Amino acid sequence: MARIPSIYPHVWRAPLLIWQGLFFVGPLILMVAMSFWLVRNYRMEPDFVLANWERMLTRDYFWSAYQVTFLRASLAAALASLFAFPASYALAFKVSATARRWAIFFLIVPFFTSYLVRVYAWQVLLAESGPVNAVIGFAGMGPFTMLNSGFGAMVGYLTLVMPLVVILQTFSLAAIDRNLIEAAWNLGASPRRTLVRVIVPAARVGLILGAVFAFILSFGDFVSPFYLGGSKPPTLSILIIDTTKSGQQWPRAAVVAVMMILTLFTVAFAAVGAAYRRKA
Amino acid sequence: MRLPILFFRLYLLALFAFVFAPIVTSTVFSFNSDRFPTMPLGHFTTQWYQTAFARPEVWEAFRNSMTVALSAATLSTALGFATAYTDFRFGFRFKSAYLALALLPPTIPLVIMGLAMLAWLGQLGLSGSITGIIIAHTVMAAPFAMAICRMRLQQMDASLEAAAWNLGASPWRAMRVVVVPFCLPAIISAFCLTAAVSFDEFIVAWFVSGLNRTVPVMILEILQGNVDPQINAIGTVVFITSITLVVAAQLLLLGRTAR
Amino acid sequence: MSMSHSQPTRRNLLATAAGAALTVPMINRAWAQEPTDINILAWYGHAEPDIVAEFEAQNNVRFVPKYYAGGDNMLALIAQSPPGTYDIILSDAEFVQQLNAAGYVEELDASLFPFDDFWPEYQNFPGHWTGGRLWSVMVRFGLLGVSYNTDTLSREEASSYNAYWNPKVAGKVGHFDWHLPSLGQISLLNGNRDPSPFDIDENAWKAVQERTLSLKPQVGGYFDYGGTFSSLKNGEMLAMCGIGDWITGVLQKDGAPVASVIPEEGGIQWTESYSIGKGSARQEVANKFIQYMLSPGGQVRSIQMAAYPGPSPTKSGWKAIQDANPAEAERSGLIEGHDQSPRKLLAEKRLFLRDIPRQQTLEDWNDFWSEYKTA
Repeated sequence: MARIPSIYPHVWRAPLLIWQGLFFVGPLILMVAMSFWLVRNYRMEPDFVLANWERMLTRDYFWSAYQVTFLRASLAAALASLFAFPASYALAFKVSATARRWAIFFLIVPFFTSYLVRVYAWQVLLAESGPVNAVIGFAGMGPFTMLNSGFGAMVGYLTLVMPLVVILQTFSLAAIDRNLIEAAWNLGASPRRTLVRVIVPAARVGLILGAVFAFILSFGDFVSPFYLGGSKPPTLSILIIDTTKSGQQWPRAAVVAVMMILTLFTVAFAAVGAAYRRKA
Repeated sequence: MRLPILFFRLYLLALFAFVFAPIVTSTVFSFNSDRFPTMPLGHFTTQWYQTAFARPEVWEAFRNSMTVALSAATLSTALGFATAYTDFRFGFRFKSAYLALALLPPTIPLVIMGLAMLAWLGQLGLSGSITGIIIAHTVMAAPFAMAICRMRLQQMDASLEAAAWNLGASPWRAMRVVVVPFCLPAIISAFCLTAAVSFDEFIVAWFVSGLNRTVPVMILEILQGNVDPQINAIGTVVFITSITLVVAAQLLLLGRTAR
Repeated sequence: MSMSHSQPTRRNLLATAAGAALTVPMINRAWAQEPTDINILAWYGHAEPDIVAEFEAQNNVRFVPKYYAGGDNMLALIAQSPPGTYDIILSDAEFVQQLNAAGYVEELDASLFPFDDFWPEYQNFPGHWTGGRLWSVMVRFGLLGVSYNTDTLSREEASSYNAYWNPKVAGKVGHFDWHLPSLGQISLLNGNRDPSPFDIDENAWKAVQERTLSLKPQVGGYFDYGGTFSSLKNGEMLAMCGIGDWITGVLQKDGAPVASVIPEEGGIQWTESYSIGKGSARQEVANKFIQYMLSPGGQVRSIQMAAYPGPSPTKSGWKAIQDANPAEAERSGLIEGHDQSPRKLLAEKRLFLRDIPRQQTLEDWNDFWSEYKTA
């Protein structure tokens, strides 16, 4: 390594520092600063006042939105993990490696494909006069109201996160040493016991990461709670949009944003800690 | 877990049905004659495509989206590759903080990114410009490029580059003749994927774009506006574009790893 | 790049295939000089082809819209952009004062506009003039009342704001997601008619809040323009608070079983006016566009605007729509002496101008709206 000119590593290291410093850290710091600014006549003025914090954090609507957002994101993470698991299990253990690769291939595609249009499609599918109710109608039930409800929002969240959760789970399940599982069989463990005692702990990292990403994405999502949940009740993202819309109250929106980021970091660090903690 | 294989087959089928139902629906309704989507379907028509693509602003939006996606993909791939190489090749103090900085952007909710970006770009006099969208999308897409390039570098024999140095090649030359060619499929793949990320992104673009609409921003505005079935037509074209990009990205990677 | 703007052949081909009336301006544009962009800030629909295509073709300009929802939103958007960004601002009339106070709009030359042609009640719209100086010109208006699904509610049942509490629409009452129209309606229900549902003292404001909160169990969602449309159309919502014919009129044309009625407590009038953005470099053509929209032809377009209809404030506009589309003139009462004529409703004090809160701040109302949404 001695012959490497000293400039060489910096050329590769510096771009990220400069770019993300200028266009990622910069905006976030400005946003934190903005939460202490004042608004007069629809114009923001740099200042240092606690009024925005005081105002938002003493409002019941902020805390109920916070609660709803947190609970919904947790539920989305739990449901996504639960629904994804049998599929991931099947992909990891029940199909060939080629089939698994294709399945993952086809899961990556929707993850990067226009979420907004997919949510609009759900609006069509779940409408009272829509195809899903038509099918339910054949069975002599319904029609059910699925839009503008927690259910609708949840369908949206799952649309967003499901592919990613399956992918992460599948990777970690497929990486489990088969000998470990066979050993459990040979020792006479029941299937359920093998699952709970051997497979789940061994795949812990992927399972937790899947759930955490589901939480993070759902927690910050604006589209599903708005277009499928009918803003009923509004989540924190909707609150941010509402607040910026009304009278240029960006400083207050910044307060909400900072609270969201703090929450996400706490959850993410706690979860990553749990995922990589050494087995007790 | 001795559940019959049939159960797993059906379960997988259901999962994929759930994931792809919206995509199929949107495509089907884009050819449906009714003004508002209801069952049963009307008759087959291409009128929504015709109306949508007869509007100059739709073409304009596609042109904007293309400009943004290609620029953001170029920048974020370069950034991602440099970062991945740094992680692969060098050890230094605060490396974990460096990597956190590299990988954090996707965890920030888009609404917040939009808010912060607009405020920041406003200070720099870049709000409401195409450049602003490109900058924002580069920040958001770079981590994906970094991940892809890093995975590819992992497969490279670390001594390969060192051997080139020992044979007298400068690090720059070794980079050019050894590392870059080895990573080329990953670089192209990263380019496609980041282009797809940018092409689909609408919340930050909506905040930042001002009067320069990209395609997904236009879709958002139709959704907030008169909910015209053109949404499905434009959406289907967007699907095809991003699916093509993502599939290309993956085929490039799979093709090499399988070898 | 196959999608590039500068490749007219393919675009023309498609345009021709569309076979729409749109084709003409498009082909003209292909070999004319690059058109001048006019930036317009407006509610959705005001820069769509049915309104602007003809003007664009005649003047070699191109409208670039930024759409907003609600006056507060509009002010925020202007505040975020450098002066001169928007050439034309279509604003709700009650926000013109604030546009003017903040210095966001240019003074207008009154001699350019046909004020003689306006019906008297619309000539001196509040806030549009200050001491003989003109800041904004009214272009259209509309009525807000109870909008409902005609399969569920009868016209009689819908003829009071109490309809929102009707068990038949439990869980199916939607709100247009803006505080002014919805709270104004509840204020009217509370009998705040004198001088206006928006000029109420603290006690009355408290009562409006309580009355509004009692509606919460009936509410099915809060919608933007697009959501309001689709949820009424597909029957997700059976009654909608804070809107009127500007939504249901469009849906009716599409065959949906919906209607709006001005209830016994009175309706609310929304009003839209054009201003010219401060520092606009294209004031001449902006003035020309406002004149165009106030001409009988422009008014006919405005009355039948595809996004949402808006009756005309001018005498010649009424005459023109009576000739061009008698059914529409009849439907929206744009006929002198018509039973539902908006002028008659206004004279009978059955119609109140939508306004900003006079004794509270906009922020108070907005804050309560957030609270109500999360309640």
